[in-house]
Amino acid sequence: MTPGQVLLFTVGGLSNAAYLFIVAAGLSLVFGALRVINMAHGSLYMIAAFVTVVIANQLGAGLGFWGGLLVAVAVAGAIGGVVEVLVLRRVYGREHLVQLLGTYAVSLVVAGGVRIVFGPNYRTVASPIPGHLDLAGYSYASYSLFMIAGAIVIGAGVWTMLYRTNLGRNIRAAVSDPDLLNATGVNVTRLYTTVFVIGAGLAGLGGSIVAPSQAVGSSIDTDVLVLAFAISVIGGLGSIVGSAVGALIVGMVISFGLVIPQTNPFALAFVFIIMTAVLIVRPRGLFGRPES
Amino acid sequence: MLKVDGLNVRYGKSHVVFDFSAEVKDGETLAVLGRNGAGKTTTIRGITGLLPGASGRVIVGGTDMSGWPAHRRTRRGLAYVPSGARCFPNLTVVENLDIASHANGDGWTWNKDRIWELFPRLESLRHNLAGGLSGGERQMLAVSRALMGNPRVMLLDEPTEGLAPVLVQSIAALLATLKSTGVSILLAEQNHQMALRVADRAAFIEKGRIVEVLPASRARDSEVLHRILGV
Ligand SMILES: Nc1ncnc2c1ncn2[C@@H]1O[C@H](COP(=O)(O)OP(=O)(O)O)[C@@H](O)[C@H]1O
Ligand SMILES: [Mg+2]
Repeated sequence: MTPGQVLLFTVGGLSNAAYLFIVAAGLSLVFGALRVINMAHGSLYMIAAFVTVVIANQLGAGLGFWGGLLVAVAVAGAIGGVVEVLVLRRVYGREHLVQLLGTYAVSLVVAGGVRIVFGPNYRTVASPIPGHLDLAGYSYASYSLFMIAGAIVIGAGVWTMLYRTNLGRNIRAAVSDPDLLNATGVNVTRLYTTVFVIGAGLAGLGGSIVAPSQAVGSSIDTDVLVLAFAISVIGGLGSIVGSAVGALIVGMVISFGLVIPQTNPFALAFVFIIMTAVLIVRPRGLFGRPES
Repeated sequence: MLKVDGLNVRYGKSHVVFDFSAEVKDGETLAVLGRNGAGKTTTIRGITGLLPGASGRVIVGGTDMSGWPAHRRTRRGLAYVPSGARCFPNLTVVENLDIASHANGDGWTWNKDRIWELFPRLESLRHNLAGGLSGGERQMLAVSRALMGNPRVMLLDEPTEGLAPVLVQSIAALLATLKSTGVSILLAEQNHQMALRVADRAAFIEKGRIVEVLPASRARDSEVLHRILGV
């Protein structure tokens, strides 16, 4: 592999990591505060991707995409809010299995709905930032670089929200002791809804941002959910830093795994081999805290 | 003033607290004494609004809070200091205080400066995570967190449990100070000596029922104290 190729596949890995991080951060944030594994997280991502594609193709790639992104994130957040109130509130404090089944049911409903509304065909949307950058003999889509920068900004935003705002302080308090938080004067019921809406919004943001770089079809919900789980297991559920590191590992493994001919058929398998290894050596993930 | 009328608490089908009624006037302290398992914690948590299986009336400073969720009761002057010096371990000392700060406006307001005056030790630890504090320090923080909400009524669940004698003394002194500011205090304790020193009256509970209420001065060597606490 030439240095130019290494750079090419590294940037490819980083742009994989970018959208995966945004999605996994939402999953992780929700799990950290609500202790619920949201099987419908990929569904919110998929809905947002479709909404973005439809709006962008209606209104034209440039402004249409950005408008579509805003609408898609709002739609994902709103659906998240409804799901939290109607489904999750009934399963808090129950066994993880009940929560998995509850949110899995939501994902099935969404998958069915998406197939009815958008049909079985894959859809694409033109990149809102056309053009490319030539470097060391290879050409890089400007949009990939935008995705990477966007993920860094979003990661910094989530970190700032968690560690520099009252909302984030309350979320961190809910992670350790929701009962005490209630008795301290914070409306924990409303806080949970807020956290879930933020998590859903991040899923939506991921789906919207990825739309110009991948075909959007009715199976991308499970595709992304599986990878987001792998990232969360590797990095540690509930940790934003863990999501970032996990996303980098998974993004790079996929990028390099796919281009090396010998590993190409196993690129995805490598992700799960690493996940299994982490589970054996460090079950709570690289940055996770043990469940008390 | 705290008024509790006909409080009953159930955990599912098991009925744990039966018809608890009490009135604690401004500046008064009521000790709730009973053995382990008698229902002290359940009574207090029933008053806070944290238990779904609680029924009965709770009035704080003239406001009927019956049926209110816990966070609303706290915001309107009902503070709860749980047993075990519970704090948010992953938050700093300052964050543990700020999170409880929602001034209810009327009169005397607590803020961090007053807390630092009361517990200078906490000021020097203000950027430490609460999880790294000693048991005594965490108890100071737990009480301070409750104070930050400017309570009219404080419910304290065994605040001296597991503390060294010198810290028991300082908690007792603090309760006396709070009392003088007009706060109503309901104090559940197994340490009856300390409780009866700071309380005006004592309610003895056994198997979830109040069996007797006595002025503290008479409770000290009463038959019921010997019988119920086995001392
Ligand atoms: N979460 C719970 N579920 C069921 N029973 C409980 C629960 N908490 C306490 N109890 C029971 O309620 C009774 C009173 O307990 P508690 O209020 O903790 O007493 P105390 O604080 O006086 O030691 C005990 O018999 C205890 O076993
Ligand atoms: Mg108790």
